[in-house]
Parts: sequence; structure tokens; C-alpha cells
Amino acid sequence: MSDFHNRSQVSARRSDYIWQYEYYEDEEPVSFEGLKAHRYSIVIGFWVGLAVFVIFMFFVLTLLTKTGAPHQENPESGEKRHRPEGCLVDISGHQDDNDKAFSRPLLEGSRSYFNFYISEEDQAHEKQKLEDKRSAAKDKAGRLQRSAELDEMDEDIEGGGGHQPLNGLIEKSKSDRECAFLSHFSIPNFVNLDHGSTLGEDDLLYEPSVILERESQAHNGHCDTH
Amino acid sequence: MEAVCSLKRIKGGRKARRLFELLWFEHGAGTYLSCIGIRQDAAMNQTGCPEVKVPFPVFFTVGIVSLAENLLVVVAVMRSRNLHSPMYCFMCSLAAFNTIASVTKTWENLMIVLADAGHLERRGPPETDLDDVMDSLLCMSFVGSISSFLAIAVDRYITIFHALRYHNIMTMQRTAAILGLIWTSCAVLAVLMVKFFNFKFIVICFIVFFVVSLAAICFLYVYMFMMARIHAKNIAALPGGGRDKSHHQRRWGSNMRGALTLTILFGAFVVCWAPFFVHLVIITVCPMNPYCECYRSLFELHVVLMMSHALIDPAIYAFRMAELRHTFRKMLFCSDWKFCL
Repeated sequence: MSDFHNRSQVSARRSDYIWQYEYYEDEEPVSFEGLKAHRYSIVIGFWVGLAVFVIFMFFVLTLLTKTGAPHQENPESGEKRHRPEGCLVDISGHQDDNDKAFSRPLLEGSRSYFNFYISEEDQAHEKQKLEDKRSAAKDKAGRLQRSAELDEMDEDIEGGGGHQPLNGLIEKSKSDRECAFLSHFSIPNFVNLDHGSTLGEDDLLYEPSVILERESQAHNGHCDTH
Repeated sequence: MEAVCSLKRIKGGRKARRLFELLWFEHGAGTYLSCIGIRQDAAMNQTGCPEVKVPFPVFFTVGIVSLAENLLVVVAVMRSRNLHSPMYCFMCSLAAFNTIASVTKTWENLMIVLADAGHLERRGPPETDLDDVMDSLLCMSFVGSISSFLAIAVDRYITIFHALRYHNIMTMQRTAAILGLIWTSCAVLAVLMVKFFNFKFIVICFIVFFVVSLAAICFLYVYMFMMARIHAKNIAALPGGGRDKSHHQRRWGSNMRGALTLTILFGAFVVCWAPFFVHLVIITVCPMNPYCECYRSLFELHVVLMMSHALIDPAIYAFRMAELRHTFRKMLFCSDWKFCL
């Protein structure tokens, strides 16, 4: 109160003050008498609820990883399904605009993916193909640069990026069989979700298959000139 | 010479006329009680919940660091040619909104410091107009950053679930149109909200918008996460697919990391934004309640939380992308700027 007194001394010397009392409301001040619970009970309740929500969400997410995937389809039967041609045709037009959005590693990754699918028809290399599939998927997933933590999530999905050496496989598949297999080249569904999925025909295929299409056209041209 | 001595009941102001006016005036609560003739019942209620004050250096530090980070993201995306894709454009928009918020908040703090020191008059017409402008900018940046989060979540959703048609669905023209729509609607909404804040309807709209965006973002990310896990399980279940222990352990570790990533992303959003919006709810619903008043006394802490979200946003969105990090390195450590980019 003393410095109010001091200031009142100072301000009393000025005679031309306009006094304005502004109240937000004319009602009585909020009384803190007779509170049953603690004063900050809303604050505490809010923060406890928020923490519980975040932890609950984390546990729900980890549980989803354990109980997901209702049943796994037979991969061989899935691979023989053909994607309709129309799905691949309409996206080729806009590729040139977005080319600069993809860095080179993505193309290299998809090249190995492409070569993997070329070798798919060969029955003798089926086991090798399956290993290729996984490593190509890891490769591709590790290099997808479109989505930040989904990028990381994909790397996580594929097991933390344990890339197997692809170079030998790439060389093998490139040299002999490329042109020969292009004529009966088909892109199967890579991952089959369960039948109850509501996603329809949009499976979780990534854009390397787009680049596969273009590369197949390029290779067609290349093979035709030989 | 005329002076206006206005006595304002700041602490315990039950019906805030203007949300950001509270912010403006609550900082300098002490300087208001320098007029004589203060009635006893108009003085601060000392038995209630005292206002929690956040020191100015904290505001300034948070503001300046978040400004630097977000400006870096904006400049990097604009200058680098290979970052001109929809995903990066949305992140650039988010960083731009955060930049505006940081600048405005830091400027407002500066003005409050000056006003407390006596160099500025709080109720003069230029100051209140400036206050209006700053409130509008803050509002715009809040609404805009929430919209940008929503746009990023939708873009990631389309990336995952419509991967083959992504380039047809999300062309650069559509991206530009979406961003233009977001910016204009945020500007219009901000001006409307600040002009008509007295209507409860506006506050309710604000709160509803926040809750709906939160629910949409939560749904999109959890759905993407679920499908990604199913995908992973399908891949791992291919025949001949290494059922050894180490593979299982690696998968468990990677699953935990994915869940942790999502929790951080969503948890940071909720933790930073929810207190402020609960504050809005409380000033609408229970202005007279003492418990509510104790919640309202923590207003400055909640604003600091919101500002810190602008600070950690680049860390959880932009800096996790390898392409952007690479561009930063080139920008910051390259000696000849014109040659580098």
C-alpha cells in the first residue's frame, strides 16, 4: 500500500486526469470461499486426462502392431493377378512434372524392383525372387522420399534397413532375360490385403511401379532397335 | 495534457471482451493499479489463484528460435528446385504460418515491454489498432497451421492409399489452389474473428474447428499406421521369409519406433494446442466459477506452450526428411550461395 500512497502523491499534483473505471462486469468478484476441492483441480484433472490420452494412444498403436493382419493370403495366387492396364496408363502423363521431385536413388531402387519383377516369370528363380522381393521392398521403402515419418515407418516396417546386396542379382537379371521377358511382362499385386479390406483395388503399391511402366516402355524401344 | 487513468480488473476478469486483449493487458497487470482512489473490492483478489507470470526472456527466446527455424524451412523449400512437390509445399506453408505467429508474438511482447516501461500508451488509438492487427495475424496463423496439418495428413493419406494415382490427384496446380484457398480463408476468418469476438458463436466455431481437425488428423494417421502394419505383416509372411528370432526382434523394434513416431507427432499437437482451447471453452462456459478462474490464471503458460509448438514443428515434420536436411546442409555450409542453389 505504501507505493500506492507514493504514487497517489505524485498523481495528485496533476489536475487534469480523466478517471475511468472499466469493469468487465458489475457483478461481485469471484469468491474463493467454501471450495470443496483443491483450487487447481480443473488444471490437474485436465493435464492428467491429457497424459492418459497420449499414453493410451501409444498403447493402442503398439497393440495394433500385435493384433493386426487378420490373415495372410497365399502370395503365389496373389502374384498372378494382373493389374488392369488402365491403372498404369493414366498416370504416365504427369510424370514429367514431378520428375524433379524424385531424386536419383528412387529410380535406382525401382530399377532393381523392376528387374525383380522381370525375373518373376522364371520358375527356376522363385526362391531367389522372394528374397529379391523383400530386399527390393526394403530398398524401395528405404528410398521413398515422399513422406517423412512414413519414410521412417517404412524403413521400420522393412526391418530397419538391412539391405542385402543386390548388385549381383541385378547384373544377372539385366543381362540375359530383360528383352526376352518384356513381352510377357506383367505387374502383379505386390501386397494383398485381406478380402474384407475396404480399399478396393488400390493396394499398397508404391510409385516405383509407375516408373516400371515408363522403364518398360523405354526398354521396349531399346530392345526393338536391336 | 491529458492522461487517461483506466482501472481495469484484469485478474479475475470473468468475461474477456477480447481474447488477445487479455494477453495484452495481463502482462502489465501491476502497472494498472497506479491510480488513486482504488476501491478495496477493485483490488486484486489475493486469496484467489495468483496469475502465473512467464518472464519475458522466455517469450523472446522461444519466439526468436522458432522464427529462425521456420524461416530456414521456408527459404530452403522456396529456393531448392527439387523440393517443389506437394508434400514440401504444404510443409512450407506450415512453416510460413509458424513464422508469422512467431514474428507477431515476439513483436507483441516487445510492445508490452515498452508499454510497461512507459514508452507506449496502452489505450491510445494507434496501439489498439496495432493490437487488432496483431490479433488478426495470430488468429490467422493458428487457423492456418491447423489447416496445414490437415493438408499434410491428407497428402500422406493419398500417398499411401492412392499411390498409383497420386500424381493425378495431387498435381502442382491443385496444390497451389489448395494453398491459396487455405491462406485466403484463414485471412478472412481471422479478420472476422477479431472484429466479432464478442459473439459467443465465433468462439464456439473456433473450438469446433479445432476439435474436428484434431479428430480428422487422428483418424487419418491411425488408419495409415494400421494399414502400414498390415502391409508389413504381409511382407514378412511371405514363404521363405526368415522366421528367425532376430527378424522378429527387429520387427518388434521397428513397430515400436513407428508407434513412437506417431505418438510424438500427434501428442505434441494435442499437448501444445489443447490447453489454449480449453481456455477458450472455459471463458465461454464458466466465467464465474473459481475453479475455472484458477485454470484461467495459467493463461501465459498456455500461450508459451502454443509458441513452443511452432518451435518443435520443424523438428517433427521438416527436419525428418532427408531431402530437406540435405538442402539445409548445402545452404548453410556452402560458401558461394548463388552457385550452390
